[in-house]
Amino acid sequence: MRKSRRNEEAPRQNGSADFEASPVGLQDGHDDNDTGRRREIRSKYRDLINTVQQNREDMLSPSTDKLTEVLEEANKLFKDVRRAREAALDAQLLVVATDLGKEKASQLFSEGSAFDPTAFAEHLLSFMGLNRLEDGDGGPQNAGAADGYLPRDAWHRLSRRVECCFRTAPSFHYMMGSFHAEPPAPKQRTERQRKAPSKEAKRIMPTQLKKMEESHQEATEKEVERILGYLKTYHQDDPTSPISYYEFVVDPNSFARTVENIFHTSFLIRDGLARMYLDSDKLPCIAPVEEGDIEAASSSSRKQCIISISPKIWKVRYKACFSFFIILSSTIFLCQK
Amino acid sequence: MQRQPSSSGTQEDNEDSMFTQPSTSQVQRGLEKLTPAQVDQKTSEVIQYFLVKDQKKVPVRRADLVKHVVKDYRNIYPEIIKRAARTFEQVFGLKLVEIDPKNHTYILINNLEAADKPSPVECPANPKLGLLFVILGVTFMKGGVVRENVIWNTLKKLRVDSGEKHDEFGDVKRLVTEEFVRQRYLEYVRIPHTEPMEHEFRWGQRADMEVSKAKILEFMGQLHEQEPQSWTQLYREAQASSSSSNSSSSQR
Repeated sequence: MRKSRRNEEAPRQNGSADFEASPVGLQDGHDDNDTGRRREIRSKYRDLINTVQQNREDMLSPSTDKLTEVLEEANKLFKDVRRAREAALDAQLLVVATDLGKEKASQLFSEGSAFDPTAFAEHLLSFMGLNRLEDGDGGPQNAGAADGYLPRDAWHRLSRRVECCFRTAPSFHYMMGSFHAEPPAPKQRTERQRKAPSKEAKRIMPTQLKKMEESHQEATEKEVERILGYLKTYHQDDPTSPISYYEFVVDPNSFARTVENIFHTSFLIRDGLARMYLDSDKLPCIAPVEEGDIEAASSSSRKQCIISISPKIWKVRYKACFSFFIILSSTIFLCQK
Repeated sequence: MQRQPSSSGTQEDNEDSMFTQPSTSQVQRGLEKLTPAQVDQKTSEVIQYFLVKDQKKVPVRRADLVKHVVKDYRNIYPEIIKRAARTFEQVFGLKLVEIDPKNHTYILINNLEAADKPSPVECPANPKLGLLFVILGVTFMKGGVVRENVIWNTLKKLRVDSGEKHDEFGDVKRLVTEEFVRQRYLEYVRIPHTEPMEHEFRWGQRADMEVSKAKILEFMGQLHEQEPQSWTQLYREAQASSSSSNSSSSQR
């Protein structure tokens, strides 16, 4: 009943055939249609607000008039707003829209030439060395976006170029490890000083003595090797029977030679290449040291023994009289391991 | 007026938050009580503190400096800072700059003018510099303020996605919105009335001091193959800022 009454009244009040609206402020708006209409208005406002918020980028673009359309839509809605609640929504939409408007205005800032970040990105990619893939199919659609790959040093390349735009202070880092700030200890200096003169002294000598020393050394080494060779040969000929030391070193024809033999043999013993021992008759014997034994010998205790011989005794010995006690006139030490 | 502080710990803690600059006469009196060696020593400590802090490009706050280094010498603080600044210039070629006169924050920048061209020596450059350039460059070209989406979209086109871990930069969002902001290269400010919440980027105080707008515009010109002058307003702004930075300004 009420409804029908309103239907009769409605055309008189606002003339619109589409919907009904209650008069300004006076009625409570209990009518369902009225509530429905208000709900509708509020819903539309919320839609508009959403549109503006969700499609920012689109609305900002200077190529569209979307913002203007939204505002025009809001104007239409506002005509039917009667209550504070809808008006509040309208105000909210206005805030959002003007915010957007301010942003659009700031876009007009770059006069003379606009700046487009998309174009900028394209130029940068080229600068950084983007390898655009030669793709006939997908070329036009994804121009630049997903095609191509950036080289590994892309950002380094850019950084090097833009370094000169920055007045950055170079970072300070401590040197790794410490060093003494004091001058080096005197001890080092004296050592260096001592070394210097000896070096010089040496330099003078070599020209004179070098040749002699070489011949001496070479001769000795050669002889030692020769003796070692003989020793090994005798040993190989009869590994079981011991080689009498005296038989080995004594030269029946020359005392000097005998002395030399003893001298050279002592090197063999010193270097652990030969060993001396006493056989069952307590006579000294000599034998070469086997390869494997050389290392073992080095750990054993060292002994020293002095052998001396004189021409007289040498003569006696040649006469096949071996004595245990031999005195060598020259001072040659025999190191026995 | 600041009373001469005692060396008790709690008093120092209270006082450094209320540190007021001593007067000239106070400084004079303070200097008289100290030997030149003592003042030099304290100055050296301040210098070392700055140099180490500068490794991370984090600005130095006066309050921290006073609390951790200057301590009992706070009554001659202006003299120490003056000497430190002079040493930075003469010994290190650096400039001590107060970027925030209100909060009393300092940074070190290079006192030498940046080279015109990249160094001919093949020394490795920090890739973060390139990233920073992109953000600062776009922000500058857009008038000094730019919505964060613009930056994220631009970076995305450069294969830097703020939502993903990047090979070179790692967590890009954190790097840009936290590290660069902490270093004062950028400002990341919330825009009111935005739902969901949005921010805008601006140049930070360090960028204002360290970065040459003219050189950025020059590179932009090269990239776009147009003259820097074609961006009239930006060109004017760049010229103005470079001339102001050339004039010497001693900071306290």
